[in-house]
Amino acid sequence: MTGPRVMNAVGAELSKLRTLPVATLTAVGTAVVGALIATALTAQLVDQGAPASGITVTIQAVPFVQTGLILLGVLPVTHEYAGAQLRTSLAAVPRRGLLLAGKSVATLLGLTLAAALTVGGVVAATALTGSLLDAPPVEGVVDPWPVVGAVAYLVLVGLLAHAVALLVRHLVPALAGTLSLVLIVSPLLGGLTRHARWLPDRAAMQLYDPTDAVLSAATGALVMLAWIALIGGTAAMLFVRRDP
Amino acid sequence: MLLIEELVKRHGSRTVLNRIGFTARPGRVTAFLGPNGAGKSSTLRILLGLDRADGGRALVGGRPYRSLRAPLRTVGSMLDGSGAHRSRTARDHLAWVARSNGMPGRRIGEVLEQVGLADSGRVRVGRFSLGMGQRLGLAAALLGEPEALVLDEPVNGLDPEGIRWIRGLLRGHADNGGTVLLSSHLMSEVAGIADDLVVISGGRIVAAGTLDEVTAGHASLEDAFFALTSPEQGVAR
Amino acid sequence: MSFRNTFVAELRKAVTLPATWVALAVTLLGSVGVTVLNAVAVRAALDSVARESVASYSAFDTAYAAVPLGTVGAVVIGVVVMSSEYAANRTDAGSGRQITATLTASPRRTGLLVAKALTVVLLVAITAAATIPASAAVARLLIGAGPPETVSLDDALVRSVGAALYWTLTGLMALAITTLARSGIIPLIVLIVNSSLVSFSLLLTNVTPLAHWLPDMAGRRLFLGMPTVEGGLDTGPGAVVMAAWTLALLAVAGVVLSRRDA
Repeated sequence: MTGPRVMNAVGAELSKLRTLPVATLTAVGTAVVGALIATALTAQLVDQGAPASGITVTIQAVPFVQTGLILLGVLPVTHEYAGAQLRTSLAAVPRRGLLLAGKSVATLLGLTLAAALTVGGVVAATALTGSLLDAPPVEGVVDPWPVVGAVAYLVLVGLLAHAVALLVRHLVPALAGTLSLVLIVSPLLGGLTRHARWLPDRAAMQLYDPTDAVLSAATGALVMLAWIALIGGTAAMLFVRRDP
Repeated sequence: MLLIEELVKRHGSRTVLNRIGFTARPGRVTAFLGPNGAGKSSTLRILLGLDRADGGRALVGGRPYRSLRAPLRTVGSMLDGSGAHRSRTARDHLAWVARSNGMPGRRIGEVLEQVGLADSGRVRVGRFSLGMGQRLGLAAALLGEPEALVLDEPVNGLDPEGIRWIRGLLRGHADNGGTVLLSSHLMSEVAGIADDLVVISGGRIVAAGTLDEVTAGHASLEDAFFALTSPEQGVAR
Repeated sequence: MSFRNTFVAELRKAVTLPATWVALAVTLLGSVGVTVLNAVAVRAALDSVARESVASYSAFDTAYAAVPLGTVGAVVIGVVVMSSEYAANRTDAGSGRQITATLTASPRRTGLLVAKALTVVLLVAITAAATIPASAAVARLLIGAGPPETVSLDDALVRSVGAALYWTLTGLMALAITTLARSGIIPLIVLIVNSSLVSFSLLLTNVTPLAHWLPDMAGRRLFLGMPTVEGGLDTGPGAVVMAAWTLALLAVAGVVLSRRDA
């Protein structure tokens, strides 16, 4: 009997995401902004006479588009707390663990779709702009791995935002907190200390831009997953225990 | 059947519910009466598994709400307002509620029709009036064709026509063998519809029984209510 | 008299909002935290053989490196002062938002926005007055005996005021954008992203030099002495351009707020 219940919970959460205007807008908007950024970056590379490969541009575009995935990761939880929808959700699925599992799976699916769409848009826009501007051809064998790694990184950053949202529950602190961690604190500490490599986003960055001496793509992703498990696990425990 | 037994709830040092107990039976409309802050909503929130009790238990058909597999098929509930996100449409809101308990999609149209929102299914909840939000909350409660209905102040914000309609709806539900538990602070509203009364004041049950039993010795239900809930006589019964 | 009442009411609303204090506390603790990490690294370098390489380090510079964090605090303050008005309350349906109560209490909407702007200025100023000296003191304490302080007190004061001005203007822009959007999502994203290294404005400067006139690009030299990209406006003109943007955005927000149905 557990199977159908999980499917119902996931289905309901997917239905919520699909019908939340700001969520669909974020997913589509991120892909569009990603394509625009790719166009700008490609034009810049062509100006400098450099070959503009989808890989190079993807690596440069990811830091910009991650904002969209962070917002998408925060929304499934925080929209429950805007008004009184959480009450309805808990009446419908009273088992906290089941509700959280359904929500997290649905968030993961939404993030994967949005990340794939966005990176796909970046690669396509790069190719299109490159051919329109007669960019010099890319030489040698191109390793497509960073593109897959970029999708994985974006999904993980979105999940991190999901975990933070679960902990702080409301939109403004969840969004401001995750954005400032990833965009401000992480680069700031990156310039100050080598230990910054253990920060979630810096570790996961190895997935698409492996430059670290200690962490590889796999271990970097594991560090990120550990952060997500730590924050999300704490939040889930609190969610199950306390009254809404 | 809904059973509340020895329920205790504390917020810090303040005791909100002090060992309260009562039952709501099938085929009857049970009204849960009390002034603001008496503990009505706290009781209903515990019954619906939203909050935890510090003692005692609240059971739905013999089981705690949180252990029900498809709770909305057993109990339909509404606590103040729609409980919907304001940027979703009424239909989209009911769609995810239906999905969560594996209920067929055709029920959405049926309940919208039933509560008189058939023309507003595509309107965003943020544009609803208070009364429309109330009707949407009822639609969600009716979605699973549940045996029991638990409603907190269901007539809030409804127009006279809406109040008459909801009376008919609840009466019909009970006459068909269903259980209805509704809370209210409006005496006149409850007098015409309830079979049984439970009166709560300051976190204690001060009276319980059939309408006649509770009002016996008082000129009207309203007199009974004030007599039972005024501070000096609150513990008389 | 009526404006004073509005202002006091707005200030009261803002200081009774937990989010305001969280923003202030996080800015203070976050900046001090980053300063601690930074100062420990400087101390370690001073203790090692390579002490000549850090001879030019100053405790103030060590603390000042954390000022970009304060921008986030200012943005959050600017956002919540207005977004709290539009937050849904428990009834969901209908106009159950605080803005209804606010506008019936203070129907002069331009005055209301000015009162909110003054509130933001005051709160951000308090944040700056607490954060920058505290961070500098922590850095001084942790680095201890070392090379002489290369930043004079006057310099330190001017640079602190520069950073506080950047924070304030950003907080006011956050207020204006939140008023226009009636939601905190857009200002949070736009202003936090643009105060970071992956700023959209910075990207735009590669496309057109006109992007140097965008508020965040124009004002970036207010973080006096911080390394930044080449080109664009100088500190003084940049600050004027950023302030002009802020005023323009507030003016548009004021007009829209006055004309729009609550």
